[in-house]
Amino acid sequence: MGDSQYSFSLTTFSPSGKLVQIEYALMAVGAGQTSLGIKASNGVVIATEKKLPSILVDEASINKIQSLTPNIGVVYSGMGPDSRVLVRKSRKQAQTYQRLYQEPIPLSQLVRETAAVMQEFTQSGGVRPFGVSLLMAGFDDNGPQLYQVDPSGSYFSWKASAIGKNVSNAKTFLEKRYSDDMELEDAIHTAILTLKEGFEGQISGKNIEIGIIDEKRVFKVLTPAEVEDYLAEVE
Amino acid sequence: MSRGSGAGYDRHITIFSPEGRLYQVEYAFKAVKAAGITSIGVRGKDSVCFVTQKKVPDKLLDQTSVTHLFAVTKFIGLLATGMTADAKSLIAHARNEAANFKFDLGYEIPVDYLAKRIADKSQVYTQHAYMRPLGVSAMLIGIDDEQGPQLYKCDPAGHYFGYKATSSGSKEQEAVNFLEKKIKNNPQLSYDETVQTAISALQSILLEDFKPTEIEVGVVRAGKPEFRVLSTEEIDEHLTAISERD
Repeated sequence: MGDSQYSFSLTTFSPSGKLVQIEYALMAVGAGQTSLGIKASNGVVIATEKKLPSILVDEASINKIQSLTPNIGVVYSGMGPDSRVLVRKSRKQAQTYQRLYQEPIPLSQLVRETAAVMQEFTQSGGVRPFGVSLLMAGFDDNGPQLYQVDPSGSYFSWKASAIGKNVSNAKTFLEKRYSDDMELEDAIHTAILTLKEGFEGQISGKNIEIGIIDEKRVFKVLTPAEVEDYLAEVE
Repeated sequence: MSRGSGAGYDRHITIFSPEGRLYQVEYAFKAVKAAGITSIGVRGKDSVCFVTQKKVPDKLLDQTSVTHLFAVTKFIGLLATGMTADAKSLIAHARNEAANFKFDLGYEIPVDYLAKRIADKSQVYTQHAYMRPLGVSAMLIGIDDEQGPQLYKCDPAGHYFGYKATSSGSKEQEAVNFLEKKIKNNPQLSYDETVQTAISALQSILLEDFKPTEIEVGVVRAGKPEFRVLSTEEIDEHLTAISERD
């Protein structure tokens, strides 16, 4: 990776033992639009703000929430271009697993491999860390799961989490509202309410994206019309 | 050998600054503006066009060799705003991608996929220290089989979006303000309206009336999906129509 002239790591320890490039990468994440995920008893929901820089942008051309396999979806906060690299690599890793074992990759394994890629970029020569945190959601033989992966490559499984701007408010809100026996429909409503908390302007089906996966194990991104329906229910 | 991370090199190569920014990428955007020309793209109901200034800096230059409009394939046009040499590199890569796609898959590369590939390459330059980001903003136009007329823009940061209308270059913000007003009510622009909106936007923000040789216009239309650069006569017709309208 990288040219031989840059075969040294750009992410090096500071005298106090910190890896400052990773901390700065986390700042880039913290400046990104809010994303969140909630694990319910029978599914997972992930959602994000989709604030566009101008009304001239065709919002239908942008898909922040992507599927990595038919039963795993991902959303990011931070630098969009960096997330595309991770989406592409994860999809290939999932496919490689599928070819080898003739089985869909379990979410925890895909998360592990994606996180390993992110860690590589904090240690390899001539590259910088990724400026994104990912929320990966899926439903496999271990049930519904939600993982968060950070620029450092560390990952945890969460019941509910938020990344990007406004995380502390969002997490406080989620802590209050979360219950272990929550069902997917409740989780979707809670996700919308959490996004609404920090939302500047009028929330609509065009400026948020929601992805869900239920017991049928098929990840899907809701259409703007479906999002509008949920928004109406929340009112 | 230079060591990055906190030693002040965050302005020299693409590593994070303490605020979590990439200065080299931001400087690349400034290089696009410094090129001194403005470009505008507009998407209509069944056509897309882009327009850019044609500034020939020296009278001795062969005007026909000065262009910012390129055909990536027969059906996709690319307008490169910014550093000329970087633009050539980007176009060579785009043409290569398009040709490989056609060879491997047997059908023409869709505009949005080509935009993605260009943007992905730009992203690599923002993450690897050995190559700087390109000082080019690329607009792509084409007619998609399923989605109809498409206008995409790729920037040095590796972002790419589909647009109803957009601009790049020195007067980018003024142009965007102008276009937002025009596009606000979602007008269904005909071919002539699309071209004339783009040209009059450029005239309005630069506060000058153009001669046909001072601008370049590229179009794709639903019935005739090949990318075409308008001739001076055709540009003249549109300029006349605009001035008669006002």
